[in-house]
Amino acid sequence: MIVCVAVVGHQNNPLYIESFTDADDALKLHHIVHCSLDVVDEQVNNPKKSGPTLNETFLGLLYPTENYKVYGYFTNTKVKFILVTTDLDVRDTDVRNFFRRFHAAYVDAVSNPFHVPGKKITSKTFEKG
Amino acid sequence: MGREVSESCVDSLLTELVSTYSTRFYANKPDLAAHSIEAIGYQVGLQLSERYTMDRPRFSDHLEAIKFICKDFWSELFKKQIDNLKTNHRGTFVLQDSRFRWLSRVSIDPSENGDVSEDNPAGVAENKASLVTKMHLNFPCGIIRGALSNLGIPCAVSADISNLPACSFVVRIKV
Repeated sequence: MIVCVAVVGHQNNPLYIESFTDADDALKLHHIVHCSLDVVDEQVNNPKKSGPTLNETFLGLLYPTENYKVYGYFTNTKVKFILVTTDLDVRDTDVRNFFRRFHAAYVDAVSNPFHVPGKKITSKTFEKG
Repeated sequence: MGREVSESCVDSLLTELVSTYSTRFYANKPDLAAHSIEAIGYQVGLQLSERYTMDRPRFSDHLEAIKFICKDFWSELFKKQIDNLKTNHRGTFVLQDSRFRWLSRVSIDPSENGDVSEDNPAGVAENKASLVTKMHLNFPCGIIRGALSNLGIPCAVSADISNLPACSFVVRIKV
């Protein structure tokens, strides 16, 4: 199950963060998202290790914790998407598909003429997607 | 699944936008009008670049991003690529479009030139035409600037119309 997703702007400002758990652990999930940003920076600035996946938008598994797996995605426009999931055996293609749909939803949201770039995303359609 | 936009609608919208800003809102302040039109273009560029770079790998340097603007971005906008790209390798790029679509149908209202001075009417009319044309170019300049800044390249864009309908955009990347 996906427990948390986040959109982070190019200055590491949160644009959208939402957790999908009943328990009161939103803070913990936000903490995980914030920590993962460092890993994103590291991967983007030192892309040597990635080898064949050079400059791909999908960053893959950022780091596994005890209960969660954190995936990252970094667009051309320096916007980062973070996904936290509790599933321990996730297929890469599923995550890729999720990010592609998530990115499409994000693009639709910012293409709204009333959206101010760099502000938090308040679109209802975006929440549903 | 691409959505299509009627070309003549965009043409009319641009013409109307320019005339509204330059003769109604800021009739006596051409600088302010130019700035507002450029700002609208900036937001359009910002949003378009978000959409058009979706399925691409990330750009590794400035040249690659500029090439993207010349090829894919321009074909999405104008159904053709930039005809000529020059650079001095120090952050200045010249993008030349030999037949810029948005200028291909620009004409000047002859009735407005009624009060031109007797000695040099052609010169004044020409001057006025180039001013109006320049005003129309603020919008595409804004689009380029918006797209590039969204890709992480802050820059200044200006346009040059020395030989119409060819048109060149000069991109200076801020270091």
